[in-house]
Amino acid sequence: MEVFHHLLFGLQVAVQPVNLLFCFIGVLIGTLVGVLPGLGPVAAISLLLPATFHAPPVASIIMLSGIYYGAMYGGSTTSILVNIPGEAASVVTTIDGYQMARQGRAGAALGISAFGSFIAGTLGVVGLAFLAPPLASVALKFGPPEYFSLMILGLTVLTFLAGGSMVKSLMMACVGVIIGNIGLDLVAAQPRFTFGLDILLDGVGLVPLVMGLFGVSEVLLNIEEKLDKQAVFETKVKGLLPNRKDWRESILPILRGSVLGFFLGILPGGGAVISSFVSYGVEKRLSRHPEEFGKGAIAGVAGPEAANNSAVSGTFIPLVSLGIPANVTMALFLGALMIHGIQPGPLFITQHPDIFWGLIISMYLGNVMLLVLNLPLLGIWVRLVRVPYGILFPLILLLCMIGVYTLNNNVVEIFIMLIFGVFGYLNRKIGFEGAPFIIALVLGPMMEKCLRQSLLISRGDLGIFFTRPISAILMGLAVFSIIMTLLPAFKKKKGLIGEDVQ
Amino acid sequence: MTALWSLKYGFGSLSEPGVGFITFFAGAILALLSLLLFFSSFRGKEKPADLRELWAGLDVKKVLYVLMLLVVYPVLLRPAGFPLSTFVLLFLLFRVKGSYGIWTTLFASFFVTAVSYLVFQVWLQVQLPRGILG
Repeated sequence: MEVFHHLLFGLQVAVQPVNLLFCFIGVLIGTLVGVLPGLGPVAAISLLLPATFHAPPVASIIMLSGIYYGAMYGGSTTSILVNIPGEAASVVTTIDGYQMARQGRAGAALGISAFGSFIAGTLGVVGLAFLAPPLASVALKFGPPEYFSLMILGLTVLTFLAGGSMVKSLMMACVGVIIGNIGLDLVAAQPRFTFGLDILLDGVGLVPLVMGLFGVSEVLLNIEEKLDKQAVFETKVKGLLPNRKDWRESILPILRGSVLGFFLGILPGGGAVISSFVSYGVEKRLSRHPEEFGKGAIAGVAGPEAANNSAVSGTFIPLVSLGIPANVTMALFLGALMIHGIQPGPLFITQHPDIFWGLIISMYLGNVMLLVLNLPLLGIWVRLVRVPYGILFPLILLLCMIGVYTLNNNVVEIFIMLIFGVFGYLNRKIGFEGAPFIIALVLGPMMEKCLRQSLLISRGDLGIFFTRPISAILMGLAVFSIIMTLLPAFKKKKGLIGEDVQ
Repeated sequence: MTALWSLKYGFGSLSEPGVGFITFFAGAILALLSLLLFFSSFRGKEKPADLRELWAGLDVKKVLYVLMLLVVYPVLLRPAGFPLSTFVLLFLLFRVKGSYGIWTTLFASFFVTAVSYLVFQVWLQVQLPRGILG
């Protein structure tokens, strides 16, 4: 079996001391940001992007992904113990997890969420190892028109899933495309929209932009809240190991959650948040005691926690096989890879086997580390939740400032970050989502390249997107997803899965 | 506006798309969508929320104050140097939300400045401006 050969190779890469260390740092930081409310994986990854510039590419990617799945673990801890979801994917866990804690079963809830995450993480990694390479070989048949159609599909599905108004999401996507086009034109090397600033010739940097949009704007939104965080409910955690009855009730939800999360993760615009909500809904419908949901049903903790972890592996698939990010976090990964001079796409796995297989094994090792890290250190994480925001936010802001400044020792970058901080803050106030913006920004230049190449191939005939079979199917799906949003029945459902995509 | 602007860069033709091709379309769609949103807000049954209501009951002054500090910081960063400007920034920021004594705040700001200086300048070898204290 070729896969096992590759996996062994990945193991060799992943157990190198440097990579083990970066993996550990990643999951540690991930748990930390997962625990701290108001600081999600997106902000943390963008904060640490500059720090990875000097590290080897394998180690950087291992660390960044550690932050991503580590945050999924950490978020559930605070959801269960103090009813504060550390990040969006753990919102569902608060429903039953916190109730379990109030009934004195916090230990079992934490235990099952840790084990569930572990099982799901493992299954997800296996899925990634087996699914990504074949998909990449299919993607080799894709030409510029197929890519363009695929990106259009990705964007429309994303705007469809993003909460709030479709018109607003599309508008954000357009702004993203425009801002993504700032800088030197790819074909003619002519500067566009640079306002004569040399620093804009390379385009608006992804790091200052994301830090502003997700870091600074989040802080600004939190500062204006007058009330302090709600009083913390004191629980004693005992007996982390779930008993036999708990296992019986949660093993199927864990398995279902893993599969569900993984496939929802693959979809563009899908990801951890959506899959945790969907898994909760599925478990409630399948349960023999649906009335227990909301009152401390262990299945309501196990399923979503499993789903959000396996979704993490799923979201990697479009990136490593097609080179297209499925959500904001993956857009950041794309940025990180490109900074290291690596272009993700169909050739990624064959050209950089060390990164792909090393990453897969490291995700597995990281899951073990998280299990070890989270259960004994619970006390510390819980105490961290009580750090007052007044102390936390200056530190976050300082980190943003230093991080952005050190990109190329230029204060203009700080101003760019602040501008997008205010932009993001105002946008969230009036209900515009940041996610379509970022995805469009990253995809914008790629789309332009593909569009122009396709039109050169077809000598200006737009029909090329509808006559080539794969491209036509993708375009059709895109149109279909736009029509779907116009139907009233879907408008209601959309609200439920809103606020996602991070 | 962006659409008109991209025209300046040359729209090109469909067979040889020019430099401003994509931005023209993105701008045009954006303009169309804004018109759509603008008119649909008149048609809606609910009156669009007053802009002021968005900030009702919230501390706008603090946001503006923090923003002002954040804008001043990079301006002062080079002339005053990293240690001094960071110390002042942190001191003022810690006082926005917390009700801690002056000495505690002073100590905390000093501590964080020192740690960040050590980590970034000494350990990670980042060139931070030293300014008048350097």
